[in-house]
Amino acid sequence: MIQLKTVLNVIDNSGALLAECIRVAHGGRYGGIGDPITVVVKKARPITNIPGQTSGSSGNPATKLAIRRGEVKKALIVRTRKETRRPDGRYIRFDDNACILLNNKLEPLGTRILGVVGSELRGKKWGKVVSLAPRVI
Amino acid sequence: MRLEKCYFCSSTVYPGHGMMFVRNDSKIFRFCRSKCHAAFKHKRNPRKVRWTKAFRKAAGKEMIIFEKRRNVPVRYDRELMSTTVKAMKRISEIKAKRERIFYKNRMSGNKELEKADNIREIQRHIELVDSPSAKIKAQVAKIPEKTQRIEMDTS
Repeated sequence: MIQLKTVLNVIDNSGALLAECIRVAHGGRYGGIGDPITVVVKKARPITNIPGQTSGSSGNPATKLAIRRGEVKKALIVRTRKETRRPDGRYIRFDDNACILLNNKLEPLGTRILGVVGSELRGKKWGKVVSLAPRVI
Repeated sequence: MRLEKCYFCSSTVYPGHGMMFVRNDSKIFRFCRSKCHAAFKHKRNPRKVRWTKAFRKAAGKEMIIFEKRRNVPVRYDRELMSTTVKAMKRISEIKAKRERIFYKNRMSGNKELEKADNIREIQRHIELVDSPSAKIKAQVAKIPEKTQRIEMDTS
């Protein structure tokens, strides 16, 4: 149940730590696991290698991204505290609300995902995210 | 189909029942019903809650059977199947027998304790007993006390 103003943990290595939902892409009231949303980055990891910023094109991808606080990004919900129903009738609940950041083409921004991810992503054609995740439950 | 055990009360969780909770370190907790889930959310310790299997086992109220769970699926084999069916009967027999003995042992000292308890209760509330013989006994027992008191008052 992700809606306007929900604050989610960002669990990829894009540099953002906390993001606030400002829109659920499908237009409904709530977003669940596997739904893309739009977020504002509320807290980001400080950008460390500022001295070498002159060569912006050559550094590793993580520095190129350089997510800052206040940026508006697309994101994908990967865990929700609200329990979701699986087709086999069981209900599953996670510890927190979490997302990963996406670019405008809805591809993951980060190169790694840290933490568990809901297996609902598989049915919703987020195969790349599933393959990045260390565990899918 | 797989039958899981409830994290809190250790009962079987049938498919489509209860709730699965995944912690961020990807440990999975299964609950058979909302009662167990709520208890978990309250951070109750299943070993301290009296109605759970964990408590009963920890307190010596139930026999501990060391069941092993094999994670390897067994291929269907007609002969193995028939022997298993036969063995199931025998296993349940042995189990019932062991349980009977365990229960007997657990309850063995109870009768004497109960008897002692009853006697103590009657002694404490002897004035409530209706039968005349008991009353007389009580009066006899109390007379010396009364006379002593009277003497004390007069003197």
